[in-house]
Amino acid sequence: MKGTINKKIPYLFIAPALILLCLFSLFPIFVALIISFTDIDLAGLADWSTISFIGIKNYLDVLSDPIFLKSILNTLFYVVFGVPLVIVCSLGIAILINYGKAPIFKAFRAVFYMPSVTNVVAVAVVWSYLYNPQFGLFNYILGLFNIPAVPWLQDPLMAKISLIALALWRAIGVNMIIFLAALQGIPKTYYEAAQLDGASDWKQLTKITIPLLRYAIFFVSITTMIGWLQFFEEPFIMTDGGPLDSTTSVALFIYRNGFQLSNFGYAAAGSFILFIAIIIVTLIQFRLQKKEVDY
Amino acid sequence: MKNTLVKKAGKKVAAIALIGSVIFSGALAGCSNNESNADSDKTTINVWGMGEEAKSLPKIAEQFEKENPEIDVKVQAIPWDTAHDKLLTAVASKKGPDVVQMGTTWIPEFASANALKDLTPHMEDYPELQASNFFEGSVETTKYEDKVVGVPWYVDSRVLYYRTDLLEEVGYKEAPNTWEELRDAAKKLAERGEGKYGISIDTKEQTLGFMFARQNGSMLLGEGNKPLFNEKEFVEAVSYLNGFFEDGSTPKQDLGIDIVQAFKGEGILPMFISGPWMVKLINDQAPELEGKWATAVLPAKESNLSALGGSNLSIFEYTKNEEAALKFLAYMSKPEVQIEWKEMTNSLPANKKSWGDKSLQGNEQYKTFGEQMENSQAMPVIKEWEEIAQTFLTSFEKIYRGGEDVQKEMDAFNKKAQEILAD
Repeated sequence: MKGTINKKIPYLFIAPALILLCLFSLFPIFVALIISFTDIDLAGLADWSTISFIGIKNYLDVLSDPIFLKSILNTLFYVVFGVPLVIVCSLGIAILINYGKAPIFKAFRAVFYMPSVTNVVAVAVVWSYLYNPQFGLFNYILGLFNIPAVPWLQDPLMAKISLIALALWRAIGVNMIIFLAALQGIPKTYYEAAQLDGASDWKQLTKITIPLLRYAIFFVSITTMIGWLQFFEEPFIMTDGGPLDSTTSVALFIYRNGFQLSNFGYAAAGSFILFIAIIIVTLIQFRLQKKEVDY
Repeated sequence: MKNTLVKKAGKKVAAIALIGSVIFSGALAGCSNNESNADSDKTTINVWGMGEEAKSLPKIAEQFEKENPEIDVKVQAIPWDTAHDKLLTAVASKKGPDVVQMGTTWIPEFASANALKDLTPHMEDYPELQASNFFEGSVETTKYEDKVVGVPWYVDSRVLYYRTDLLEEVGYKEAPNTWEELRDAAKKLAERGEGKYGISIDTKEQTLGFMFARQNGSMLLGEGNKPLFNEKEFVEAVSYLNGFFEDGSTPKQDLGIDIVQAFKGEGILPMFISGPWMVKLINDQAPELEGKWATAVLPAKESNLSALGGSNLSIFEYTKNEEAALKFLAYMSKPEVQIEWKEMTNSLPANKKSWGDKSLQGNEQYKTFGEQMENSQAMPVIKEWEEIAQTFLTSFEKIYRGGEDVQKEMDAFNKKAQEILAD
């Protein structure tokens, strides 16, 4: 008797979270799934009787939409270049900050974390001035060295790179904190033993630090990858997907169709394709993780 | 023992939750009803205004309240860029404002969703709302199928802004009158030197391409809304616009500067096409330019048809205070109120009688707009238009930036438009 009650009590504690999760996460996903098989538009929102089921037409249409295909390629570009960059940069900075003992390094921790807590719209406004082709700081500096102005946001390829640079700068902070926490969790005794054996700093880094950070790296790579697959704010504010749709991400494509053109069904179909892609990518990462040996 | 305790605790939680939800829902209900209940002979209407001008709306609303003491007006100002989302939510929840300001291009979309009240049955009781009071072109924007879902409030039309001093230097004492002259003037202005251009062609402006096509005699949509975007008239207009990009009369890439900044000083962009709001902006931000710039009606090809825009006032379908909302609409449509509104916000009155006022007749800039209004037409009133216009902008970008063949790209655009219209 006592046992069963004790078993039930935990549910009481998680009930609020569970109810909220169902109401605001699972239920909307379910609704979106239904919507993706309908032709719902603004009129349908007001009067449900005008909605009709059209099967998988939305999915077929969205998969043959050249802009959607382009947005997938763009998103892959962001993921392929963005994820490794974020991991390498934030890990590098975390190790450097952890290595230094002077109090100034604490200040650096704050400096690198700052972009993560700044409002993205404010950041984007400031960066669009930095990228401004006429009076931007970047082109001004290039001009000092007699390098011709770079069309930061005006050239299809350059615009993608510019957005990655901005997002990278924003993403470093949070991930650096995760790495720092993991770094400080590594027992000092490992390093002492290695130093007694005469291992160099580089050896210590590659044989002790990196292997023991495996779980942190795994966590950061998954969260970063999901984040980049949903890349939205930067292209939305800085370029609005242009020039020539070269910076349109899948998320921006979905937003545009759903909220600007009121093609809710079409947008829901697009978002489900993204949803499935994210699940597949995450599963692959878990599979790869399992294959490695445990320490 | 423990069992009952837990049960009691459970009951308590349930009770608290129940009370909480009752209070909560009561509070929510209170938001919408309290005011009218507290003072039963007073009706409150909610008015949603958009953008900059909504900030001046409360002043007009105050005067309205003085004339109609039984009505209380609550104005909510919504920025244009979030207004569409907000209206969507209002339609979905069927709870929203009583009176709403509608951009003319949004009318078909929201009218097709039955979100806007048909005003036809009230025209006799409120003569201020009758179509004969307003410019024909702006009355068109209030019609959807066989309904009248709004009343014109203020209008705008696009005209040519130009630097008189710089144009005179290249031999134009007056504004360019025809397409050829505009082309020629832009080219000569661009030849002034590196980093200088002739005219600004706003590539994000939805109406521009269609406006030029109409000047060239294109109907845009034929019978039964058949798109005519790959016909000769339309393609010619697009090629004409593309010509400005090809010979460097207008920058291919976004210069990253504000149009007023580019217009003043040396005049990086000494000509542009825009609406009446620019008059105030130029006067405020570049007062030193006074006497060096002017507005003119658009250069003509077969005609000089301009794009008509502006805002209408509509009554939300789910309003409970129809009577008061109608009174508010009628008040806002009076010529004298529209003149007052013009004084406050510089937006041009839709009521034709207001244009007899000397504050409009005596001002050169406003006179240009009055003249252009006679030759202005709104974009087609169909709900698919937004998507078609967006698609056009994408196609046009492929032409001027990507160097695609105009005819080929317009064929593709026409096909896409057919698909959009067929859905």
